[in-house]
Amino acid sequence: MKLLYGLLFASMTAAADVSVIVHPSNANAVDASTIEKIYTGKVKTFADGSKATPVRLSEGNPVSEEFNTKALNKSASQLKAYWSKLIFTGKGTPPKEIDSDAEMLKLVATNPDHIGFVASGSVTGDVKVVFSF
Amino acid sequence: MKKTLVSLSIALACGASFSATADLRINGFASVYAGQATNDKQKVYGYDDDATFSNESKFAVQISADLTEGLTATSQVIARGSDDYNAEFEWAYITYHIDDSSQVNAGKMRIPFYKYSDYLDVGYAYRWVRPPQSVYGLSFSTYEGASYLRTDTLGDWDSSLQLLYGNLSEDIIAYTYADPAEMKSIWGINWTMSRDWFSARAAYLVADVSIDELNSAPLSQLIAGLNNYGLSNEASKLQTNEDSGYFLGVGFSIDYNDILVDAEYTELEVDDSVLAPQEQFFVSVGYRIGSVTIHSTYEENQDKHKASRFDTVPLTINHPQLGTIPVTTDPTNPNAPTLRALTNAALNGVHVDTSTWSVGMRYDFHPSAAFKLDYSSLDNNVTNTRTGVVTAGVDVVF
Repeated sequence: MKLLYGLLFASMTAAADVSVIVHPSNANAVDASTIEKIYTGKVKTFADGSKATPVRLSEGNPVSEEFNTKALNKSASQLKAYWSKLIFTGKGTPPKEIDSDAEMLKLVATNPDHIGFVASGSVTGDVKVVFSF
Repeated sequence: MKKTLVSLSIALACGASFSATADLRINGFASVYAGQATNDKQKVYGYDDDATFSNESKFAVQISADLTEGLTATSQVIARGSDDYNAEFEWAYITYHIDDSSQVNAGKMRIPFYKYSDYLDVGYAYRWVRPPQSVYGLSFSTYEGASYLRTDTLGDWDSSLQLLYGNLSEDIIAYTYADPAEMKSIWGINWTMSRDWFSARAAYLVADVSIDELNSAPLSQLIAGLNNYGLSNEASKLQTNEDSGYFLGVGFSIDYNDILVDAEYTELEVDDSVLAPQEQFFVSVGYRIGSVTIHSTYEENQDKHKASRFDTVPLTINHPQLGTIPVTTDPTNPNAPTLRALTNAALNGVHVDTSTWSVGMRYDFHPSAAFKLDYSSLDNNVTNTRTGVVTAGVDVVF
């Protein structure tokens, strides 16, 4: 019983914290405003001018919703409306969607230009946390 | 039917050949709407007093192929209920990304008159059933040509500057519901500046406009009549034949906490034509409560000729053989209408003065779909008539 309560509690705190991750070799400072700009397609590079490729957890994932609210200040519907404005005019493409934390960690750990986010509880040493919400 | 098959087979052929080498993206949107007007004598937005479904319903699929090295090919095929769901290429263009902040597009694209021009058909992208029609009522929306788009960050502001050049040739609503029209040498610039919750936009376009009056018997006969009397100058001032036109639009948007405000003002004029100079604007406010947005909009549309355009046709002319003769539809009949009166009537006939109030709601009931319900009340201040129209439906994106 105690264990179950502990697990439940752990998963709840994990869902409430989102860590933005990059490749360990990425030395750029990344603040909340940069994250918002990269994830809305307004900026396509890191501070040092190197390419920034955002990837996100799929729609419906609670961590994804947390990220939408805290980092982008948008609901899932508002974000979808935002991207549909860009998609249908050839002015932008939304970040690629990844299904799980594990896949996200693997992808960011192997691609120096990628930036992603996962539940803070799943972060491993293979990636570098640049910001937490 | 043939057109549909051709479109589809081209789309399939493109899809098949691209997919082998390129990263292919497929997106789409659809709207299903039903509407009904309250007045049995006036159609509003295509609706009459029987509930109809097909009028504003549509289905669109967009295919984008990334061809590497910054090149993308995009085509959008749309089937409109108002056109019996015949599929047509609405957009077909190639994008070349020069660098991270600039791109060139070439092909068939949307003319960026308005803030919502680019996604005029994507109902999911805005809160209304339709963008305010007093401003957004132009019957043509795409052109063929090229555009250059540049996005920059200026301090805390995001800037987006677009330059375009092209031509347009299609049937538009001018004198009748389908007049062959041509716009040559369309030049345009539009600039959007945005910061956090605020964005402002300005657009200016010029073009040489020609609209054939062939389908309008009263107008073409009047022009022929004026020419018969040698009044070619007066005739050409009614014709729209390579006359220079301009479009000006300014507007702003606010999305602060859950408060939404949008406003746009536009001007449109084609020199020396029967078309009256137009001025229109709307102001709209909205409020988000969770997944529901409620909104209200006020719009006005004024098309009116200047007083100096009237009474320019002479009542009589001097004929070398016949002396002074009246300028009428029939010189032998003293009671025949004068061409001055007919010209004045034509100039008065394009007088438009409408004001519209709307209220509506949008409910995001599904991650990819929104339900909308709008009621608009249109006042025609020229004929002193009022018509209401209620529309409900669903917008989806995928």
